[in-house]
Amino acid sequence: MRLNKFSLFLVFFLFTFSSFAQSNNYFYGSFESNGVYYQESESTDYDKKFASNTYLNLKYNLNNKWVFDLQTESYLPKQLQNYSDLLEDTFVSTFSINFNTNNFNFTAGTIYEQFGSGILLRTWEDRQLGINNSLWGLRSSYKKQNLRLVLLGGYQKKANTISEGKVFGFDSEFTVYDKKDSYSNLLVGLSYLGRLEAPHYVSYPFEDLTNSFSARIDYNSDNFYLNYEYAHKSEDGVVKFNVVSETFIKSGNAHQVNAGLIKDGLGLDFTFRRLENMGFYSERVEFGSPFFETTLNYLPALTKQHDYLLTNINVYQSQPNISFQDPSLMKAGEIGFQLDAYYNIKKETFLGGKYGAKISLNISKWNNLKGNYDYESEDYDLDFLGFGEKYFSEQSLEIRKRWSQNFNNIILFVNRYYNKRFVEEKVGEINSKMLVFDNTLKLNGEKSARFEIQHLFTKDDKKNWFGYGFEYNFSYNFSAYFNSIVNYENELEDKPTYSNFGLSFSKNASKFMLSYGKQRGGLMCYGGVCRYVPEFKGLSFSIITSF
Amino acid sequence: MFKKLILLAFSLVCAINLHSQKFVPNIPIETFKGTYTTMSKELSDDSYYILSFWATWCVPCINELDALNEVYDELSKDLNFKVYAISTDDARTKRRVRPLVNGKSWKFDVLLDENHDLKRALNISGLPHTIIAKQNEILHRRVGYAPGEELDLLEKLKDYEVE
Repeated sequence: MRLNKFSLFLVFFLFTFSSFAQSNNYFYGSFESNGVYYQESESTDYDKKFASNTYLNLKYNLNNKWVFDLQTESYLPKQLQNYSDLLEDTFVSTFSINFNTNNFNFTAGTIYEQFGSGILLRTWEDRQLGINNSLWGLRSSYKKQNLRLVLLGGYQKKANTISEGKVFGFDSEFTVYDKKDSYSNLLVGLSYLGRLEAPHYVSYPFEDLTNSFSARIDYNSDNFYLNYEYAHKSEDGVVKFNVVSETFIKSGNAHQVNAGLIKDGLGLDFTFRRLENMGFYSERVEFGSPFFETTLNYLPALTKQHDYLLTNINVYQSQPNISFQDPSLMKAGEIGFQLDAYYNIKKETFLGGKYGAKISLNISKWNNLKGNYDYESEDYDLDFLGFGEKYFSEQSLEIRKRWSQNFNNIILFVNRYYNKRFVEEKVGEINSKMLVFDNTLKLNGEKSARFEIQHLFTKDDKKNWFGYGFEYNFSYNFSAYFNSIVNYENELEDKPTYSNFGLSFSKNASKFMLSYGKQRGGLMCYGGVCRYVPEFKGLSFSIITSF
Repeated sequence: MFKKLILLAFSLVCAINLHSQKFVPNIPIETFKGTYTTMSKELSDDSYYILSFWATWCVPCINELDALNEVYDELSKDLNFKVYAISTDDARTKRRVRPLVNGKSWKFDVLLDENHDLKRALNISGLPHTIIAKQNEILHRRVGYAPGEELDLLEKLKDYEVE
């Protein structure tokens, strides 16, 4: 799928065509480019070098029924640090022809799709993480108010190539009961996904075709909701030290229960999930790939998603897989829960004051599956609802309060336990507490300022951190920021300090950013998916525009 | 390499100068009930719409919607407009959307774009991203949020109404 004459021809054809077209036939798209000059990098491949990732997406709308979609990606002179090595040069990454009426949709080419909550299948693009696991094939869907049917099949994209495995499946959802003008209804759903991978060089002692099924039920009412999803994946070889085992063969399953309570000004949400050997890849050997290549499903960490520099240190990543590293580190999945509460303290009350306040609370706890694990014979026997070694737990409280027309702030407190040994398969356990004050002051006209301070308290690992940030909006379009975090209790003589200065300019649907500084290395997480990023110092720019 | 870069730049310039996305695409989108509606059905009234793309984990998005909520009652007396807060939360955080909206007492309608079908169709890269539309015709769009910018958005809306 390299950039070739065909795709160039297509681009020019569509441009020419659209120039003569009527008003409801038109071209649109987006452009994004992220580049870094690495002044200093831990990786010698990048030290004193420039790298950039550029995405150009073009779509053509024909009669509001057809959409032609083409995306080219350029990694020049090379891909940004820690993106897949397969991403190089310029190539057409996605292309699709889509036919759409009110209820019916047909796509040939690149497919983005999700079945249920994604336990069996989710294909999506996340440029920050370098994920694009879309399928290349055919898809048709029919969606009406009380019915949703999707049928698809194809090969999965793997960076600039195509994965070996064939993938096909269907998803269905029916409304059993629905009360008009209220939230009351009952939905049921069934999905199937098959992955056929039969490498010519090996004959596995298990089926080349791996089948997975899921069933879900979803009840909603005005003040309450409850849903349950079950998934099963047929027997498959476990990947151990990057090799598909011919002796360690296991099936997988998942249970997810979610319930919530809704009252005016109050919202509660509870999720329980148990995952056992649920990682699913279109190419078996890609299992656990740091670049998420050929990953088929989406099993994100169900914890609070943080947005501050220090609260993003030691965040949980979900543990859906079997991993037998050594007799003291054996896991088969995860079990745990998460609770969220949101409460609005009304205006003109004792606690709320003149402007009211908003409170949110999050509690989560995730453990290994409890059972008898046998390292030698590569087997385990699990207790269905048993909690094994603790991976992670967190309690956090956030209060948002407006004090006057021009001043408001956010106070966030987080108490966290992180088992680095079991989650990252490294050494150590970390107990930490974090406190964040984020203050916004509106000034004259379009000007405003934001000031934040953060502290991370811990006696473990690298000890305490302190951070602060300042942001000034000169106008709605133009802002500058400076932030810095320092690991001031680290045993190193030179205390690790990461400071960044940046400018951001936005106009309509375009944004341009420039920043200079040193970025912390380690596990970076976005949308519940994490990967390792080496530390670097350099000048970065980013351009985003939609047109 | 330079040929390719030039080609990319050329395509971009052509695209920006000659064309732009005019309409909100008519694609199915999920409601809080888990059922589907379509964008053209939701945008069928003869009024102005603010479509705000957000996520539960995006601090500036929540700031923008909180700020819009503050002025919503006052302004909807004089202006004929409706706000849709379109959540792009995926399976990780989607279940949090309804309790959060309730816990914040937001007065907007919320739609769920869980696997980013609408976000992709509108070529949205960064959040928050806000669109003003008259029925399904796109009049204005902007990326990012600075404190007070909601007032600017509403001024724009007033200008359109006067026109």
